[in-house]
Amino acid sequence: MEDRPLAEGDLVAQALQGDTRAYGTLIREHQTMAFRTAYLITGSAADAEDAVQDAFVKAYRALARFRRGEPFRPWLLAIVANEARNRRRSAGRRERLALRAAEDPLSGGAVPSPEAALLASERREELLAAVEALGEDDRLALACRYFLGLSEEETAAALGWRRGTVKSRTSRALERLRTRLGVEA
Amino acid sequence: MTDLERALRLVGEDLAFPEAPDVTEAVLARLGPPTRRRLPGSRRVLVVALAALALALAAALAVPPARTAILDFFGLGGATVQRVETLPAVPRSTSRALDLGRPVRLLDGRPDVELPEVLVPRALGPPDAAYASAESYGTRLTLVYAPGDGVPESPYTGVGILVGQFVGEADEGLVDKLVAGGTRVRRVRVGPYPALWLEGGPHAVLFHGDDEAVFADAGRLAGNTLLVERDDVLVRIEGELDRGRAIAIAESLRP
Repeated sequence: MEDRPLAEGDLVAQALQGDTRAYGTLIREHQTMAFRTAYLITGSAADAEDAVQDAFVKAYRALARFRRGEPFRPWLLAIVANEARNRRRSAGRRERLALRAAEDPLSGGAVPSPEAALLASERREELLAAVEALGEDDRLALACRYFLGLSEEETAAALGWRRGTVKSRTSRALERLRTRLGVEA
Repeated sequence: MTDLERALRLVGEDLAFPEAPDVTEAVLARLGPPTRRRLPGSRRVLVVALAALALALAAALAVPPARTAILDFFGLGGATVQRVETLPAVPRSTSRALDLGRPVRLLDGRPDVELPEVLVPRALGPPDAAYASAESYGTRLTLVYAPGDGVPESPYTGVGILVGQFVGEADEGLVDKLVAGGTRVRRVRVGPYPALWLEGGPHAVLFHGDDEAVFADAGRLAGNTLLVERDDVLVRIEGELDRGRAIAIAESLRP
């Protein structure tokens, strides 16, 4: 997808001219990751959906401040995460990730990778439980980097941390996870 | 990548996230005509969002009537101050209204945050706490000083002094402050920098995202405030302070 940044930049430019179809394309492209990021933060699908909707509206109104040539996703995720945090604070709720491993990945539509199939469901549950038991910063760092597959830059934008902080927290969280699981580095 | 990291990725692939709803139509239905923004010429990079301080509030502002009765106007970089007949209905003071963002660790009395320049007022020393928030325009950093040592508690913020720093890119008019009759607004200077001093009554701090949805967001009331435009950083000092002390604090800001 070598031309993707260019295409994305064009969509932003068209949206700035009032082309809402172009903006619709941007929404469809990014809404799943936006929703998952918001869900990690709020722990509620309804709050995550509200946060994502409001974030896309705010992002549209702020498009003039988006730096051309930069990737759109980190910029968007910063707005999404801010909306999500505001909702979590106002709801005053919950600390745990409401995540669970898919019950039976083999029965779903998607065929899991051979490695995933090899990672026994017991082991998955154990790992998830260990991640859930970590402190919030550790948990969010690992969830963004490994569950969502966000880059360090995107994780920094989403969590409002410095990039160096993402790196150090991730490595510290991995260390704690290893201790919890009793595995060697 | 270690085995553990690989295992985490595999778990991530199989996680049962709730299905992401398609929000495209709902979002597009909320978009009005595009916003035409004025670029403030020579200084595109600057500033902003005083009232992001208040972003999370759900106070519905009865503002349109106030908006129609603008009596006076002051501008400073990305901030505007408007004098109106009556202030909108915003909460006087709640801790939620402050909404300062995420706590930031202090290292040797300075916030551990990635900004080109972090200003700390020598006159006040290291802050008691710091908060940062990533906004669409850039970063907002707030230093919090507790009451005590001649610093009374502010009835509007519940703390002693707030020193806010807004760094980022924004166009004019992203932030509004509304002042009513009782509040005096003066143009002052802090060293070489232009500044505005608001004193004598509460003012409303508002954030808005564009021209057509002004005041869609919420606000709160604030007390005496000094706004200083320091190159690419907008500094906001709020507390139960007189002008001389606020300016002295601003003059003592150091990277």
